[in-house]
Amino acid sequence: MNQEYIPKGRAKTLARKMDKIDAASQKPAKKKWIQNRMLRKMLSNRLSVIGLVIFLVILFSSIFASILSPYPPGQISLKDTLQPPSMKHLFGTDRLGRDVLSRVMHGGQVSILVGLGSALGAALVGVLLGAYFGYKGGWMDSLVMRISEVFMSFPQIILVLLLVSITGQSLANLLIIFILTGWGSVYRMTRAKMLSIREEEYVQALRAFGLSDFVICFKHMLPNAIGPIAVNITLSTAMFILQETSLSFLGLGVPVQIATWGNIINVANNLSILQSNWWIWLPVGLVISLFVLSINFIGDGLRDSTDPTQMG
Amino acid sequence: MKRLLSVLLALMMLLSMTSVMAEATNSNQLSDPRVRQALTHAIDVQAIIDSLMASKSTAAITMAPPGEWRSPNVKAYEYNPDKARELLKEAGWDSNRVLDVVYYYGDQMTVDLLTAIQAYWAEVGVQMNMRKLEGDLASQLWVPPSDPVNGPSAVEWDIAYAAVAALSMGDYYDRYQGGYSSNSYNPTDAKMDELIAATNATADVEKQIAAYHALEEYENEIQLNIPLYHQPVYIVQSKNLDRGGAPYGNDQFIYNWDIVNWDIAPDASGKKVLRTNGGPAEFFETPFFNPGFIMSQKVLFDRLIIADENLTPKFPGLASEYSLSEDGLTLEMTLREGIKWHDGEAITPEDIRGSVELATKAQTNPVILTTFKALEGYEEYAAGTADHISGITNEGNKMTFKFAKINPNILLAFTQFAPLPMKYFEGVEPTLIQQADYWQKPVGSGPFKLTEVKMGEYALYVPFEEYYGGKAKIDEIRMYPSGESDPNLVKNAAAGQVDYAYTKSVEDVLALEGMDNMVVTPVEVRYTRVLYVNKFPHQ
Amino acid sequence: MLSYTIRRVLTLIPMLLIISFLIFLGMELMPGDAVSYMVSPEQLANMSPEKMQEMREALGLTQPFLVRYFNWLFGLFRGDFGYSLTNGQPIVDILKAKLPATFELSFYALLISTILGNVLGILSAVKRGGKSDNVLTVLGMVGVSIPEFFFGLVMLLIFAINLKWLPIGGRTMPEYTSYWQQFRHVIMPASVLGISMTAGVMRYSRSSMLDAMNKDFLKTARSKGLPKWRIYLLHGFRVALTPVVVLIGFRLPMLIGGSVVIEQIFQWPGIGDAFVAAVRGSNYPLVMMIALLSVTMVLLASLLVDILTALIDPRVRLE
Repeated sequence: MNQEYIPKGRAKTLARKMDKIDAASQKPAKKKWIQNRMLRKMLSNRLSVIGLVIFLVILFSSIFASILSPYPPGQISLKDTLQPPSMKHLFGTDRLGRDVLSRVMHGGQVSILVGLGSALGAALVGVLLGAYFGYKGGWMDSLVMRISEVFMSFPQIILVLLLVSITGQSLANLLIIFILTGWGSVYRMTRAKMLSIREEEYVQALRAFGLSDFVICFKHMLPNAIGPIAVNITLSTAMFILQETSLSFLGLGVPVQIATWGNIINVANNLSILQSNWWIWLPVGLVISLFVLSINFIGDGLRDSTDPTQMG
Repeated sequence: MKRLLSVLLALMMLLSMTSVMAEATNSNQLSDPRVRQALTHAIDVQAIIDSLMASKSTAAITMAPPGEWRSPNVKAYEYNPDKARELLKEAGWDSNRVLDVVYYYGDQMTVDLLTAIQAYWAEVGVQMNMRKLEGDLASQLWVPPSDPVNGPSAVEWDIAYAAVAALSMGDYYDRYQGGYSSNSYNPTDAKMDELIAATNATADVEKQIAAYHALEEYENEIQLNIPLYHQPVYIVQSKNLDRGGAPYGNDQFIYNWDIVNWDIAPDASGKKVLRTNGGPAEFFETPFFNPGFIMSQKVLFDRLIIADENLTPKFPGLASEYSLSEDGLTLEMTLREGIKWHDGEAITPEDIRGSVELATKAQTNPVILTTFKALEGYEEYAAGTADHISGITNEGNKMTFKFAKINPNILLAFTQFAPLPMKYFEGVEPTLIQQADYWQKPVGSGPFKLTEVKMGEYALYVPFEEYYGGKAKIDEIRMYPSGESDPNLVKNAAAGQVDYAYTKSVEDVLALEGMDNMVVTPVEVRYTRVLYVNKFPHQ
Repeated sequence: MLSYTIRRVLTLIPMLLIISFLIFLGMELMPGDAVSYMVSPEQLANMSPEKMQEMREALGLTQPFLVRYFNWLFGLFRGDFGYSLTNGQPIVDILKAKLPATFELSFYALLISTILGNVLGILSAVKRGGKSDNVLTVLGMVGVSIPEFFFGLVMLLIFAINLKWLPIGGRTMPEYTSYWQQFRHVIMPASVLGISMTAGVMRYSRSSMLDAMNKDFLKTARSKGLPKWRIYLLHGFRVALTPVVVLIGFRLPMLIGGSVVIEQIFQWPGIGDAFVAAVRGSNYPLVMMIALLSVTMVLLASLLVDILTALIDPRVRLE
């Protein structure tokens, strides 16, 4: 094109815009501390910020429960049973005179461990298998695929109930069961993603360079699939926490002597407590709901920020 | 001189006592009575009862609850942590040992109770871990060691939290005999065996009571296990119901309910409907194993002899007359004239004999089973060499039961045992009697007959017109499916769907007492919660 | 299409065989067997081990594992679903008694969640970014964040116990003469189940409506000046229908698996209730049948979804 040609009209404004963009990209980012577009975008979502704050507050008060909680969670006092909330006991006391707030804080440790631990465990198994076999293909891939089909053809709760009664009730068993029932969806998602990335040119190029499958797969391909995986982890954390409470309700969750949110709220199954001692079940019910809600907010923000079709 | 003698005697007793108290019988420290006494002293059972159970239970001293059957000489090991520490020190308690405490109830109360005990024991330096047993409970709880004297233990636990709902006193203590089929925790003790044998050796009630007193005093002295509390049964009724002055008794069993004279306020359409729980979820439970646990077992079936509210056999039932011989070995009964099953067919002596024979082969309550197994000719029948038990004979409606062994509970057994119409049981495998089609819609002999049932939803009963005690005043009984100690009982009561029920759950009672339309009556029964202490050495 | 369907159905069979074997194996690994659950723990101490063994033999539990599995399997091929260990009744009868209850509950729950979810989803898509969209999105999330049984119990406390507007549980009463009387029982469980399922439908229908609104023909229709509601409801919804069908298809298995907890709270005599009891009681023939039934539902539902999407949208071709 002619060098002397001076743009006019629309073309001129376009060129000006282009200059601006060029200039902007030269300047350091406004909020330098958040370089990651995904994270930045998430933080611009008001709900997910609220979610993150609630999540962190509950998470930290659970993690540091032994420092923060006003009483040891197991300290019984048969003289102060079923006290309504007061300055001494913010959430009141239960039937053994234990401080409900302290129990909720400590119970959070186990419940969050179950939820987050299972989600991370399931993601780890699913991602490792999905990424590697999705990339490699072959008979191992179809075998793992079949296995995941077997697991996924059960309605979740039916499978969990079956497994709980086979293995018996314990914290470790529950974690394993949740991982067993949860890895399938992450696996399939990762695998599908890898299948599509596999055909891209850069992967072909890497292969031509002679990089090992392992490096290509986990170092170069996987990061491109991380968005949906992160969303999946948050959403399954929420799901597992809810499932823990459901199982406790059916009497098949973590053994009752271990304080978990599910086991604390479970006493609401008793009508006299449900009717007259609201402080035992209502606050913990709200804490569970808030925590799950906060995770869902975060997950939603993550989803929006990683979904390329929702740009803008 | 007399005084000197008595002082000497007391001294000797004291000496003999301390000698008992001082020794552990084996390498397991729990076999040392001082340790068990210390563990008892450490728990403030009364405080637990007052807080957790709203004072609705009685602290236990022996397995037997207070009353004429309990010795006045037994003493409580009161809450005294200092004394507990002292005894533990004396016994040289190993404070590193963590007691393995097992339980099998899924309710919150059990966990709360054990949590409290854990805290109390921690105060005196005894550590414990609790765990809930799952799966095959019998093999984890009640397997006796192959050597019932020295062990080693065939079960893993140190302490098991359990309950005994006793029909007879024997239900409490027979299991303590050395080598008994479920005695996984008490090493054989000749003195104990002797004391138990004495309770079963006579049909004379006075002598039985004396024998039990001696047994309980020994149990208490060495604190064989740790009885925690006795629990009443709570009878719950709506203000609409008039029981016609019928007494309140142990509703887990059968006594003189006199339900034909109960009355209830008619509903809008003028119908008198009694609503209750205990409707079948999958099947009607046979009355052989739990004779009267569930409402349907009470109204559908009648008994040969009727017990009063203390479960003392007193009134004629399907048998218009009965008598037990002086030696306690021959029971004669006359079947009432004209009694019928709900299908209109006559109740025959063959039905009675057949039912007894069936019960010996099925799952049957131990009091009933022990009685029937004591019949003459039972061995031959069980071995298959005889078609019938020869000890049961009849001339017309007059039936005679001849026993080979003395048994203190013959009459009691017949107040609980429900004869069944045998024609429905042809070809039924006795061990699988519960799986018979009959239990989908049973035909009974009691004051009410079944008209309609939807498993898991409801069952309807109407008065049996030909009942010998007369036609009941209530027009209809409706049973909804919720069991005993089921949270649904409270929900249903709140919705006005319970006119009569019983429960052992204190939580339920607290909720029910708060309802305007309900009246709760506690009834003292033989029901004891206990910590069994495994005294066998572990491998 | 037909040959495709047949092929898909045929591939289900080996899958079901493998799954049935796995469940059977699982039941075998369970601690304790049916007999150990048939006797209450308080009575166990009075029961001789020989009697327990006799019962095991009579129930056929002492046969080797594989023998029992193949007996069960061949029975299945003969159309014999087996007998419940606890009451000796044919499992077909139990399913016949329990399935209608669960179907009734799930039908209303699906109905509520589909209608509510679609209406709210379309509403928030149309008002995208507006206040009502935001409120609905948040409400939807709150809906999926509350534990189902907590929600159920609070409803029970309010509507059945305190206000006494609705019955406390159960499905029917002997004195009922019309379905409308019985209908009162299903309101609460179906609403709780339906509302907790609504958020998912809403999210799905919102995003597919958004997709549809971006389609050219809708833009054309809008430019032609057709009334807004007509465009959205008639044209938009037709496009959005495919994903909705997919969603409902995937929710069909919920008919069996989804209502386990709700059935417990509201004493609903359905299949979920029966499953929990069977699992607790080690009643393996019943557990096997219910689990297989639910697996079959899942597999058939996904087949159904494939076929339906092909029918609705001819561009989708079946291989």
